[in-house]
Amino acid sequence: MILLDRVTKTYSKKGAALERISLHVEPKEFVIIVGHSGAGKSTLLKLLTREEKPTSGKILVGGIDYERLKDRDIPYLRRKIGVVFQDFKLLPAKTVFENVAFALEIVGLSNREIKHTVPKVLDLVGLKGKEDSYPSELSGGERQRVAIARAVVRQPKILIADEPTGNLDPKHAWDVIRVLEKINHYGTTVLLTTHNQEIVNKLKRRVVTIDGGHIVSDKAGGSYK
Amino acid sequence: MKRKLNAFWRVTKAGGNNFLRNAWLSIAATAVMTVALTIMLGAVVLHVSTGNAVKELSKKIKVTIYLKDGATEERRDMVKARLQSQEGVDNITFVDRREAERRFKTNQNQQDKAFIEQALALTGATTLPESLEVSLTDLSKSNSIVAIAKEQGYKDVVDDVSVGKNDVAKETIERATSAQRYITRGSIFAAILFAAVSVLIIFNTIRMAIFTRSEEIRIMKLIGATPNYIRGPFLVESCMYGFIAGVLANVAVYTAILSIGPKIQNQAEFSASYALFTSTSVMLISLAGAILVGIMVGIFSSMLAMNKHLKLKHW
Repeated sequence: MILLDRVTKTYSKKGAALERISLHVEPKEFVIIVGHSGAGKSTLLKLLTREEKPTSGKILVGGIDYERLKDRDIPYLRRKIGVVFQDFKLLPAKTVFENVAFALEIVGLSNREIKHTVPKVLDLVGLKGKEDSYPSELSGGERQRVAIARAVVRQPKILIADEPTGNLDPKHAWDVIRVLEKINHYGTTVLLTTHNQEIVNKLKRRVVTIDGGHIVSDKAGGSYK
Repeated sequence: MKRKLNAFWRVTKAGGNNFLRNAWLSIAATAVMTVALTIMLGAVVLHVSTGNAVKELSKKIKVTIYLKDGATEERRDMVKARLQSQEGVDNITFVDRREAERRFKTNQNQQDKAFIEQALALTGATTLPESLEVSLTDLSKSNSIVAIAKEQGYKDVVDDVSVGKNDVAKETIERATSAQRYITRGSIFAAILFAAVSVLIIFNTIRMAIFTRSEEIRIMKLIGATPNYIRGPFLVESCMYGFIAGVLANVAVYTAILSIGPKIQNQAEFSASYALFTSTSVMLISLAGAILVGIMVGIFSSMLAMNKHLKLKHW
């Protein structure tokens, strides 16, 4: 599903953010990426969403070779990858329904298809009945679940969650993690970056540790100290 | 295809919402573009009207080529054919002796009559000469017509050449031609100036819309919106400025034409222009042309703003 082969990303002045990292993620896997701030976690995710280009190395996602990917094909790649951000990135002037529908509108789905699909996804993330609320009327955990709903509403094969629990209290953080587990259970590959030791240790999933731009450990059922 | 149509409809709707969201900026941008298009249309109307008026006045001044007694019909037709082929010649009329006398008798101008009688007495002629009357559509060509008539090769047929019936009319036409030139140039300059101002205002309006929606644009990029989907609403917004301005400019210009026109349409100089501008086809062409120019100016301005501020190429 995801293959990184000796990938290096160097920013001109800061030096290498990632250096010759190789990673293979199978379909339907749930992988947690851990590391200190500045370790290179976010750079890795930006390479996968093609917000950044690698300096060297090969990236393959869902059979797409990023080296051959043209700029005009990037939007279509992103439609296959769902992304959740720490700061939610919701549109404050749109309701919960509209924020989720936004992801379907840009691909040209009809209003009828949107009205049929969005409630199902909101139900999946536990936000049934909140369709008409605005983000400002929701708790942090609920906002993050709206962001997850928007990321998965197009049924992507891969979901990338960049520190989705970073701004949440433990209770809401676990609500979000449970939703991610449910989505993974339905067959979506999940890549989660987090600092939260408790979550990593309790989930007992594959844990990839990045430090100084290198993968220093990669263990199934791993832990984080 | 259906998805593309859905996306197109949403882009159009978003453009309309942008237009209403920045109502004051939209009004300012549309107003300046309306002024620019009104001046452009006004310049066209003035140019055509004054051009037609000058043409009509020019017809009143004729180059008269007096023919020698005994000039054969064949030679006369040769001169006529040669002159007819010249640019700026409207038509050539042959005036025989009988017609010349009839005109002399019906001429109410006593001064003209006395002058002609005196001339005939001096030359010893008993009848008025035959002539070719050349009507012009372009007064500036009169000198070349005179030069041709006075060529050596036509000495056997051409006796004399006279330009114009009165100098005042000629002077009026020259003034009108000169005024037409200045009005056209001035209007073009003003239209370009206002078009440039409207480009700047639309540029700023779109730039502000891009800044206001920067977070939304970033999210759109991240969730897979194509560059065209992101650009679309801004293009629609600027096309709306052009469309509305084009319609308003036509309303302004046609209000002027329809209120002034009936008062001057009986004057020969303006009747053709009034009929031309009030014909359905010209009205439609004017409307379509103004809308098209408005939309092009709008698209040009928003493309400038988007190329500078909407970083779609750097993913």
